[in-house]
Amino acid sequence: MPTQFSWAVDAPIVGLYLLATMFAGLAVRKYVGSVETFLVAGREMKVYLGIASLAATEFGIVTGMYTAQSGYKYGFSGAVPGMAQFIAMLLIGLTGFCIAPLRASGAITVPEMLERKFGQRIRWAAGVVIVLGGLLNMGVFLRVGGEFLVLSVGFNYDLLKWVMTILLVGVAVYTIMGGMLSVLITDFLQFVVMSVGLLAVTYLILYQIGWDKIVQTVETNYGEKGFNPIKHPDLGWAYVIFQLLLQSAATLTWQTTIARVLAAKDVKTGKQVYTRTSFFFVARFMIPAIWGIAALATLTAADLAALPPDMQKDPSLYAMPLFLGKFVPIGLSGLLIAAMLAADMSTDSSYMLTWASVIYNDIMAPFRKGAWSEKRGLLWNRMIVALIGVFLLIYGLWYPMKGDLWTYLGVTGTVYLASMSTLLIACCYWKGANDWGAAGAIIIGAIFPISFLVAEQMDSTKDWAAGVGPWVSGIAAYVGAAIAMVLGSILKWFVVGQTPEGQVTR
Amino acid sequence: MSNHWFWNSIALLSIVWYSTITIYVAIRGSFDIRHMLDRLKETAGENGPPAE
Repeated sequence: MPTQFSWAVDAPIVGLYLLATMFAGLAVRKYVGSVETFLVAGREMKVYLGIASLAATEFGIVTGMYTAQSGYKYGFSGAVPGMAQFIAMLLIGLTGFCIAPLRASGAITVPEMLERKFGQRIRWAAGVVIVLGGLLNMGVFLRVGGEFLVLSVGFNYDLLKWVMTILLVGVAVYTIMGGMLSVLITDFLQFVVMSVGLLAVTYLILYQIGWDKIVQTVETNYGEKGFNPIKHPDLGWAYVIFQLLLQSAATLTWQTTIARVLAAKDVKTGKQVYTRTSFFFVARFMIPAIWGIAALATLTAADLAALPPDMQKDPSLYAMPLFLGKFVPIGLSGLLIAAMLAADMSTDSSYMLTWASVIYNDIMAPFRKGAWSEKRGLLWNRMIVALIGVFLLIYGLWYPMKGDLWTYLGVTGTVYLASMSTLLIACCYWKGANDWGAAGAIIIGAIFPISFLVAEQMDSTKDWAAGVGPWVSGIAAYVGAAIAMVLGSILKWFVVGQTPEGQVTR
Repeated sequence: MSNHWFWNSIALLSIVWYSTITIYVAIRGSFDIRHMLDRLKETAGENGPPAE
């Protein structure tokens, strides 16, 4: 596929960016002397570094792809999740709801905090479900990142697996060596490069295509449903309610998001990072949605026919990179690819590290008999990060994506978000909550989304799954987890004779 | 266009806010990095050489 990317002009820009990132990421490894420095940067992160790191982590190529796909498929209605997360993050940042007691506890991960209320078994189960949901979620990142690069640079599609491998190795090297410290430093560099690239391309779209044409395209293709998600037959109230639940739960317990609160200097800094980053989530959905709508406005049937046959079945995910490859001129193309690489590397590195932290800190906790030396702890953490990288490569090549990318991410995230948000709220604010309720919430919260994912993949149940839809199954997971927590806790009061205050009476 | 004041405002706010915060965070974040590395250097000095 012909693109504007020039190997003479754009490739050196990308190469320069990659060299600077690798240098910065590896240069700080000398400061990593303990597991705490590796996992939470010694808790020395201040507000503006936290904002840069949170923003860079939560915007990867995968984010650009699914938000642009939402814009292409649903118009402006597809940008609603960003507003839901803005509201959730602002309110949680202002009030300190759950995040203040969590940071004040000194825990490295959410399950570590949960152990204090629900015991060691729940900590372990929480770790397992977090890793399961998190790895299923990020399993598609590498493939989607590779597909963006192949389409926007104009590589042969057969080179996808090599692009994925090179991308992974680049990220893994500095994450393994420098941990959270390298992640924070490279996130900062990546935030600057990514933001300049995203804004430059957006300004160019507004200048050359124009805002009027963007709005007209949505009006012509979708009418009112492109502006109001409630009116959209594929979205509706269930979609809006699911987004509010999902984004609130993600703000409270999504491991990469909450890691910034846990790495913050103190509670006040953690709250400020949330409050001041909150509006970024509106831009995070709005800017790529504009790119997706611009693709809808300009791409012709002949353009879409240039996609590989598999992608032509549903071109919505691939329209944006195809459009950028043709639209962005030489010079700016290099900045765009550097920006999107920056976005992707910051996301992948942070995801690999934070899920590794749960595996080491919580799942392996019962097996770490006696005190491990810092050297041994660091070695294990680095091996876990490397193994997650191998998993990403295998899963990305193997898993056949069906339906929306954003729907897949929302459903897999719900595997643990539904139960962990319930457990965290109960842990912080309900004296009567106990381990029976926690176990019930973990099981119920995971059953709904996993059943939906399996049903969606099987021929015999895929029509049923389509009828139920991801939003309803997602809402059921959140409501079910909350009910299971309440009923399970009450059941223990009666069966074991434990009072709501935790005293056993018989 | 005038019917879509909500999305017009959100788009404008997003672009203006993001442009401003990029410059601000780029400047203030670099000071935060310097402070963080200084603190870690001090801590490493107190605790002896790294475990690598």
